[in-house]
Amino acid sequence: MAKQVKNDLYFNPRIQVIKVSNEGIIQETNKTFFDWDIKTSIYEAHPFFEILRTFAEEDTGQEELNFPCIHLEDDQSERICDVSFAFATKDITIVLFDYTQKYKDLNKIAQQRNESVLLAKELELKNKFLLEKEEFKNSFIANINHEIRTPLTSILGFVEVLEKTKLTFEQEELARIIKRESLHLNALIDDMIDLSKIESGTLKILEERFSFQELIKGFETSYSKVAKAQQISFETHVEKGIQEYLIGDRTRVYQILNNLLSNAFKFTEEGKISLSITKNYQRTNKVSLTFKIEDTGIGILEENIPYLFERFTRFDLDKRVSGTGLGLAIVKNLVELLNGEIKVDSIPEKGTVFTIKLPFRFELLKSSPTQKKKKYTLPDTKNKFRVLLVEDEEVTQYLIMKILISKGNFYVDVAMNGEEAINHIERRKYDLILMDLTISKIDGYQATRIIRNNYGDKFISEVPIIGISGKADETERDKCIRSGMDDFITKPFEQEEFIYKITKQIAKKATH
Amino acid sequence: MKLSKKVVLLGPFGVGKTSLFRRFVDNEFSEEYKVTLGVQIKKKVVQLPDGRELSMIIWDTEGHSDNVEDTRKSYLLGSHAFIYVFDLTRKETYASLNHDIDYLTKTYPKVVAKVIGNKLDLVNEKEITSQLKEHNIEFDCLTSAKTNKNVQDFFSDLATEITKT
Repeated sequence: MAKQVKNDLYFNPRIQVIKVSNEGIIQETNKTFFDWDIKTSIYEAHPFFEILRTFAEEDTGQEELNFPCIHLEDDQSERICDVSFAFATKDITIVLFDYTQKYKDLNKIAQQRNESVLLAKELELKNKFLLEKEEFKNSFIANINHEIRTPLTSILGFVEVLEKTKLTFEQEELARIIKRESLHLNALIDDMIDLSKIESGTLKILEERFSFQELIKGFETSYSKVAKAQQISFETHVEKGIQEYLIGDRTRVYQILNNLLSNAFKFTEEGKISLSITKNYQRTNKVSLTFKIEDTGIGILEENIPYLFERFTRFDLDKRVSGTGLGLAIVKNLVELLNGEIKVDSIPEKGTVFTIKLPFRFELLKSSPTQKKKKYTLPDTKNKFRVLLVEDEEVTQYLIMKILISKGNFYVDVAMNGEEAINHIERRKYDLILMDLTISKIDGYQATRIIRNNYGDKFISEVPIIGISGKADETERDKCIRSGMDDFITKPFEQEEFIYKITKQIAKKATH
Repeated sequence: MKLSKKVVLLGPFGVGKTSLFRRFVDNEFSEEYKVTLGVQIKKKVVQLPDGRELSMIIWDTEGHSDNVEDTRKSYLLGSHAFIYVFDLTRKETYASLNHDIDYLTKTYPKVVAKVIGNKLDLVNEKEITSQLKEHNIEFDCLTSAKTNKNVQDFFSDLATEITKT
């Protein structure tokens, strides 16, 4: 049979015929592509042929076996073959059909098909990793924010207390530095939180009606003072015809303009700074405004402009002034979130112009009165007001007690946790509860729910509750209100704001 | 006579059979994915605990798309062990695992069948172990061909086991 095969196929360059004994010794071969010597073992030629041992050891009863697509290689040649074994009594005929090219073509198709599936999975995994990393980062920032804000509240609060005591000139200066640096740290935390929210897509853009003219007047008033102190001039120009009230996210617009103005003042030692607002276009109830913040400061080198809006970007010249390096990154992100545009033109040593275009809506044919912060006064009573402070941090307890007691109108009881708070309110009537949110045993939200829902006595169930937290975000505020609290204050707080909120709640309760 | 045993790597495509094959035989790893068409075969001589040498003839087969029954029968002939590999990052690669193992053990009752979850470097071991438990997936070993985690030990243990049978 082998001779027959040899005669017929000897010249076919794609077929090699090998005759081996039952012991695997090559007896005959045409060496078409594998140069395997006669009288050597086929088992040594390639491990694939070791399969023949099995058939030699066990009588499988097979007469012929086919193995498609076998990768065979030796020192000289590499082929992909279909292999067939024909078993005779004393020997085995092996035929190798070389289909290398055909299999390589098929391989390309399979590669593309499988790769597309695997790539999709790889992308999904990468995405998952990135999301997990992002979530970790955000929760880390939120937690570290809380941890930092609590001691920072104490520092700022006590500095305010300290400033009201008799101090030497040097002590006053030191207190001023502590306050300035603490405020800087506070600003850095705010920036980090904002950037983290922007990047995680959790920063909500609000649509609220606000007095645009008042917003700009606010800048005019506050920055005129700064300009006077720096002995430079500051001007604002608002094009006539711009609506007094606009609909948009006032907080974010304020943040953008404040950031840019604050930067302009930082980098301008002489000359002037101006803020001008013009109408870009107006259609039905939509208006697009162009804001220009122009300064005669140190300017920005052309090669630095592409990196200006990147996080933690601070150029050599900046070292003269303080900053977090996050401000412009936040500005750019906020402008984009508000569907606006920002560009910068600058000439070193001449000055810089930031141009921002922002869209707003406005109400047609409506005018509204200016909303001013309502004034509240504590009810006129001979008795002092009793406040329950639920707080486990001793320093914060001390600070709040000091602030309230120094006012002369308050008694303060302290509960270390939610459980103690419940015990207190069952024993004594309170005019107000200040509830830290992260207290142990029962947290602030749960304690509030218990107070609101579990008591028939209105003195208990309707007591005003103000939440106190280091987390300054809308979600936290929302959680507080939903748990039944009346208001929320973020650490660190200003004493004036703190007292205002307490007064407001007690006054509202008295007129209820 | 030299001791020689045939071991076949089986499982869906892209689970890392070739990576395990290359890691075990040549101690190499590549990030690049190259599809295996048909089968490639290599030999690795391992030392058994009793001092004998075993030639492990490893058959790295083309990954199947649906289930292991798609694998060409001739590739499985004369096997001493099957290593069924799945990808820890792709649930679909262990969706038919129990059915496949059932098929292999019933059709080839004398052949040792092992299950490996590969790409351990891409997942959290604790999490994936509990996920696999939830899906009733029993496995013999979790490996990473990339980092070589558990690869050599797995093959050494397998070599010992198949020389006992």
